[in-house]
Amino acid sequence: MDQGVASGDGIRGPLLACRNVSKYFGALAAVRDLGFDVSPGEVLGIGGPNGAGKTTLFEMISGFNAADSGEIVFDGEPITGWTPERICHRGIARVFQMNAGFDTLSARENVILANYFGATNRVIPGLRFSRESMDRADQSLEVVGMADKRHVACRHLPVLDRKRLMIASALASEPRLLLMDEPVGGLNPEEIADIVAIVGRLPALGVTLIIIEHVMRFLVQLSTRVMILHHGEKIYEGSAAGMIRDRTVVDVYLGEGTSTRLAHFLSAKAGDAGPAASA
Amino acid sequence: MSRRDIVVGLALLAALLAVPALDPSRYIIGQLTLFFIWATIVTQWNLVLGVAGIFSLAQTALFAFGGYVTGMIGLYFGWPLWFALPVGGLAAVAFSLLIGVACLRLRGAYVALLTLAISQVMYLLIITDTECFYMDGVTCRNLTGGTRGLTKYGDFGFREILGAQWILGNYYLGAAILALATLASFIIIRSPLGMAFRALRDNQVYARSRGISRFKYQLLVFAVSAFFTGLAGGFYAGHFKVMGANTLYLSLSLFLLSMVIVGGVGRVWGPLAGAATLMIADEAFKEFVEYRNLGIGAVMVLFVMLLPKGIAGTIEDTLLPRFKRAPKGEGQETG
Repeated sequence: MDQGVASGDGIRGPLLACRNVSKYFGALAAVRDLGFDVSPGEVLGIGGPNGAGKTTLFEMISGFNAADSGEIVFDGEPITGWTPERICHRGIARVFQMNAGFDTLSARENVILANYFGATNRVIPGLRFSRESMDRADQSLEVVGMADKRHVACRHLPVLDRKRLMIASALASEPRLLLMDEPVGGLNPEEIADIVAIVGRLPALGVTLIIIEHVMRFLVQLSTRVMILHHGEKIYEGSAAGMIRDRTVVDVYLGEGTSTRLAHFLSAKAGDAGPAASA
Repeated sequence: MSRRDIVVGLALLAALLAVPALDPSRYIIGQLTLFFIWATIVTQWNLVLGVAGIFSLAQTALFAFGGYVTGMIGLYFGWPLWFALPVGGLAAVAFSLLIGVACLRLRGAYVALLTLAISQVMYLLIITDTECFYMDGVTCRNLTGGTRGLTKYGDFGFREILGAQWILGNYYLGAAILALATLASFIIIRSPLGMAFRALRDNQVYARSRGISRFKYQLLVFAVSAFFTGLAGGFYAGHFKVMGANTLYLSLSLFLLSMVIVGGVGRVWGPLAGAATLMIADEAFKEFVEYRNLGIGAVMVLFVMLLPKGIAGTIEDTLLPRFKRAPKGEGQETG
């Protein structure tokens, strides 16, 4: 099933390892005793009902909400309890569920900032942005296809462009791991195809991905592996084909209808030449 | 900095340097010197309020702090004011850092409340200061000068050099401080630092996730903006030869705040435009003593309703693009 994993990376340890991670909000366990690994080059898709703890997991990995117990190890180094800034500098970027951005700045300024302050820790910022930051920013805008809109203020961009800009900004901070929280939430099928094409380009750029998404077609299309959470616990981890046959997943999350449709989708995709071409 | 900014800046500077050659009245020179002081504070307030989007009302407290420290060092240590002046600026930086730390956990209106409280506490501490700190002949003097004000710390010594024209020395010193403060604010706004301030203003959580530390840059903007504000305070003390608690009046704070708003919040040229406009308006309303503040209020209301982007914002966004359709560069204001 692992069609996207670059060969030769298997020698090294996991890029991200979560060990017995828990997060409680009062008596409620948002994430309970969760453990999983992500290897370099993988695309891990995370699904699950609302309130399953998916976003909370991202909050913990990106440093906005410290885990109550357990350990998060990135590239061999424990990052549990680090600030979001430090985690960003270490090489984890996040694409938010909401359309976050620096509204009054232009698209290009958004991306330049992400590179200048995100790729390395600037102890004392310079008086000008480096040539390198501008070049990296322009490259990132190319990847998401927004080079022509780089001088538009972020607040004037339509929803799809804001999502693309967020991906470009995340990329510009030169991450090795990118966390994407519902990248296609609220988009129509055409727009989803657009994001699929962009996300499909990322593994080749050396970025490992973890994607949270409710749009299961999107998830199974891009993921090399799928993990389903329910009430803060892992109920499934493995291939997409295995997921749609898994009794528990079908019962608590997918339902029979979606499961059948996804099965058709997967078999149609298997017959296709280009896996990322269909929506 | 764009070429346009440099040309406008140099033209303004040349005009201000040439004013004394026209042999204006001492009153005009005095008012222009006061303009330098207010505009200096406003350029730095604009950094905190306009660029970084932090609703701090502590700017006049920093100004008064710098002024009092400068005066006290002159009075109690016998230093010439030239040396006391930079110390006053640095003292304001230290004070501002403390305020910045206190504001770190607060947002929006709560920052305004806390900073307003700080300046009002300073005011109260000074006017209720009745304890004898030293005896001046038979007169008892307070540490801060109390309600009488702090005096007898000397001035910048222009009377010895320029004689009757001493005020021109102060005029040029004030102009120099304003020029440096304006230059510093320009460099900061256009630099990565200024962009980091704006990023935090736009979206704090998102800025942090892109590696911009709120802790570091919020404290930095408080520190940076305090230096020239404190310097303006020290210069005020040396120019008027008296430092009083009237520098902490709420009315002064609101007068300067209106300059920020009328000029254009967050705009590089806003502070100068706002300070000039409000001082001219104040001059016009001077005759109508009891309606003076009302007039200033009316000017502010008119601007907020009719020109919400302020003078500089309206010129940059509306008037200039009509003359030429320039492509939007990354150095351009989008705020």
